[in-house]
Amino acid sequence: MRPEERSDLLGRLSVFAVFAAATVVAIAVLAVRVKRVQVDDAADYGSEMTRQSFRRVQTAGLRGRILARGGEVLADNRQVYAIALLPEAFRPRKDAPAAAQIEAAVARLSALVERPPDVATNAVARHLRFSRILPCALWLDASDAEIARFSEHAAEHPGFAVVGGRARRYPQGALAAHLLGYVGSVERQVGSGDTRMNAIEKEGKGNSGVEYQYDEFLRGMAGEVRVFVDARGYATARETLIEPCAGPDLRLTIDLPLQRAAEAALSGCCGACVALDPRDGSVRALASAPGFDPNRFVPTVPGALYARLRDDPERPLLNRATNGQFAPGSIFKPVTAIAGMAAGLPPEEEFECTGVYRLGTMRIRCARTWGHGPENLVHALRDSCNPYFCHWGVRAGTNAILRAAAAFGLGTRTGIDFPTDSPGVLPDAGWKLRNFADRWRPGDVAQMSMGQGMLLVTPLQMARMAAAIGTGRLAVPRLNAELPAETAPLAVDPQALSAVREGMRQVVEDPVGTGRRGGLGVDARVIGKTGTAQVGRGETLRKNTWFMAYAEPTATSRRQEPLAVALVVERGESGGGTAAPRVGDILRIFYNRESEDPEGA
Amino acid sequence: MKEFLRRFNWLQFLSMSALIAIGAFALASAGAARGSAPLAEKWQSMLATAALGYALYFALAVCDYRRLLDLLAYPVYLAAVAALGLVLAAGTEQFGARRWLWFFQPSEFAKLAVLAAFAQFFGTERERFRGQRGFRGFLCAAAMAAVPCALVLLEPDLGTALALVPAVTAMLLAAGVWRRGVLALLTVAAIAAGSVLGAVGAAERPGTPPEVRERILRCVPLREHQLKRVKTFIAPDEDVRGDGYNLAQAKMTIGAGGMAGKGYGRGEAIRRGLLPPMGIMNDFIFCVWAEEMGYLRGTLPLLALFALLCLSTAWTAVQAADGRGRLLALGMATLLLAHVYINIGMSVGLVPITGLPLPFISLGRTFLLTAMCGLGLVQSAAVHGEDKQ
Repeated sequence: MRPEERSDLLGRLSVFAVFAAATVVAIAVLAVRVKRVQVDDAADYGSEMTRQSFRRVQTAGLRGRILARGGEVLADNRQVYAIALLPEAFRPRKDAPAAAQIEAAVARLSALVERPPDVATNAVARHLRFSRILPCALWLDASDAEIARFSEHAAEHPGFAVVGGRARRYPQGALAAHLLGYVGSVERQVGSGDTRMNAIEKEGKGNSGVEYQYDEFLRGMAGEVRVFVDARGYATARETLIEPCAGPDLRLTIDLPLQRAAEAALSGCCGACVALDPRDGSVRALASAPGFDPNRFVPTVPGALYARLRDDPERPLLNRATNGQFAPGSIFKPVTAIAGMAAGLPPEEEFECTGVYRLGTMRIRCARTWGHGPENLVHALRDSCNPYFCHWGVRAGTNAILRAAAAFGLGTRTGIDFPTDSPGVLPDAGWKLRNFADRWRPGDVAQMSMGQGMLLVTPLQMARMAAAIGTGRLAVPRLNAELPAETAPLAVDPQALSAVREGMRQVVEDPVGTGRRGGLGVDARVIGKTGTAQVGRGETLRKNTWFMAYAEPTATSRRQEPLAVALVVERGESGGGTAAPRVGDILRIFYNRESEDPEGA
Repeated sequence: MKEFLRRFNWLQFLSMSALIAIGAFALASAGAARGSAPLAEKWQSMLATAALGYALYFALAVCDYRRLLDLLAYPVYLAAVAALGLVLAAGTEQFGARRWLWFFQPSEFAKLAVLAAFAQFFGTERERFRGQRGFRGFLCAAAMAAVPCALVLLEPDLGTALALVPAVTAMLLAAGVWRRGVLALLTVAAIAAGSVLGAVGAAERPGTPPEVRERILRCVPLREHQLKRVKTFIAPDEDVRGDGYNLAQAKMTIGAGGMAGKGYGRGEAIRRGLLPPMGIMNDFIFCVWAEEMGYLRGTLPLLALFALLCLSTAWTAVQAADGRGRLLALGMATLLLAHVYINIGMSVGLVPITGLPLPFISLGRTFLLTAMCGLGLVQSAAVHGEDKQ
């Protein structure tokens, strides 16, 4: 090798050496850097990817059932199916935006299902934007025939699937509708902060009645589904992490046959009926008429139906049993009687009823135009004599009457475990001044003595009062059978109470008693009081008719337990003629053995 | 024939073929992941292109490169410049850049054209004119490189220009053209790049008042999208939703592979479309391979193959019969190395994000053909080299 060739080769080798060094350095830098990203920090990137790669979906827990006292189901859940659109099947493509694809697919499927989807186009678009990890239910509560038609041709309609769900059901239909209430559907976020869910399946939420009161209790435990998604948030796979749990059953104190009897007694009229176990305040029946079918409110209240119910003059949405405030009329008279005795008036003393009571310029007529003649307290209760009680009440004084009424819990909420619990109105001088800007006059006392005037009570309060008269203890009404009974001795002289009981016994048992039909043929000892409250003036003058009863079983009674009932019928004829017979029907069903009660225990 | 086989640079050929095979596998996996037929079939069209590439490779290897260069170097160079001009006038725009002329990208092809013209011009033993190895030669070189680079930058295609500069510089240094001046310029360029990065970094630092930041950024000679990329490069975590998105997703995809990888065809990130579908076939194909095969079985063998390819290509510079063959081999080796460094480097945040294919792996058919032609020429230099031993 010649020297110049040698140096030439050395030059080439040195060029190669420089390049080789550069190559080795560059590749080594890459290897080190990639190792840092791929291996050393992989945990960070890997977990970041895992975090990005799935969404958490909260699945609805199953709502607990509501049971009657005997275990009969008042509310449960039924399986429903919907035909749903799977957003991941309708990714937007360059040549076809998602909306156009969906519109075409939904139109084709509508022809097969034979009805348009229940969900508006813009709602679908919103679903695709904000909750594309969840299927979008289009045909809600699809019938078996619709599901069958779809399933048969499912292959021709890719991107749709049948999804199951649960809907609240009230197997007894309209029975106890006001009592049970109904559910709407809401998204209820369980987690917070880091445990927040990305999407929440709607679940039932009690909107009224027991469903509202015991919403927390009935609610199931939410489940969790992990949805794996791609970079654009479309689902690629689903995995159940936590199965949702059913909420506990709620057992009510309601006696289903009695509830049915109470509703039957109210059929065809506006009114309410409440029946209590006088010993502990357990509500055995709580009915309000007219009613509605809560099944039609699931999952959402249809607008037209709701408007019709809301604008109905008979106000079917009003729960008259706890929220309807009525003038009590004569069933208030036992309170007046007790107030007088507490004020020291002698019950044996007779008062001549001439058919009319005069106080200043005011004239109050008795139900019997020509008067009852001389009457003592017991007979006045039996006859429901207005002049006697006006005279008696005016002598007892306003304060005594208010005290006695307060002892029976009038003018205050009963404390029932129920969302609506009106206090009614127990008017005094201050109340009248505030509401009518007028002073308290002797006429107000006379009106109040016979349960008229500004006095307002609820049927629940009256049932509670009947129970208190019968047992001498005032109970807090309760619907949940698990709640402990809460009773307190009545702040009333026992002798006065027994005088009132005697009067109320005669109302039912005496041949001339006003409430004879309330105990007619009932296999129980019944005491009671009728009431016919005049409401309104002139054109709107009407009578709300009352009967309240307390019954104790005899040895032959089918049910060996006492019962207190209050029933009001709007626009009735009279307490004895309209309300008492209906209570009689209820009591016969409860106590008589020969009653045709198919579910009798 | 026997002579041909004996002189044939097997190492270069085998490492190139191995890389093409890896490319086909990576593309098949990336394409299948998205479940769309056109993407899933890309690997086949890539192999078809590679078949054409092999034909060209052997054709070029068999021919004497000296005759080829004499005949074609300048016409091809002029044709490439013309094609680049035509692209700007009548090219097809895609992703905000005008790079396509019907079915091929002249800018890829121009890389080889520039290298060949440089080799032909500076590879002669004797000076063509006085001062060819001095400043005047440098001016000629600058003019030859500047025309295509300027046209490419107008497209805009920063990546091509970035890859071409190291190759051209290496060739100038090897040819001994104005060596001191080139070294000085390199130093100046390094200082300039450092200060641009430093300035942007200072401007983007959280504490910088907005008006100061505005003033600094106005002084930086970068276009808006380039400035954004530089910012993303400096502070990738600040804008994960926007420009940092691709980098963050690329790192995440690579990181998901870990040491062992997810297994071939099981790349989760690709399947879920973290990166844009054409992105994973081109600029981010490395991420696909890294995630599925892992560091040990994916990254390291790939890097080793690239090192082998670059070194074996550069080794031809030692074997070649004349300066042209030497320069061509060195230029091709540097071009490939620059591609590899920029492409992989940008996926891991070493280099600002630029669209540049990973040789033989990415689905860049024009560049695949270009690279195979270039290596074919280098092979020719090896086969027709001197025989001194």
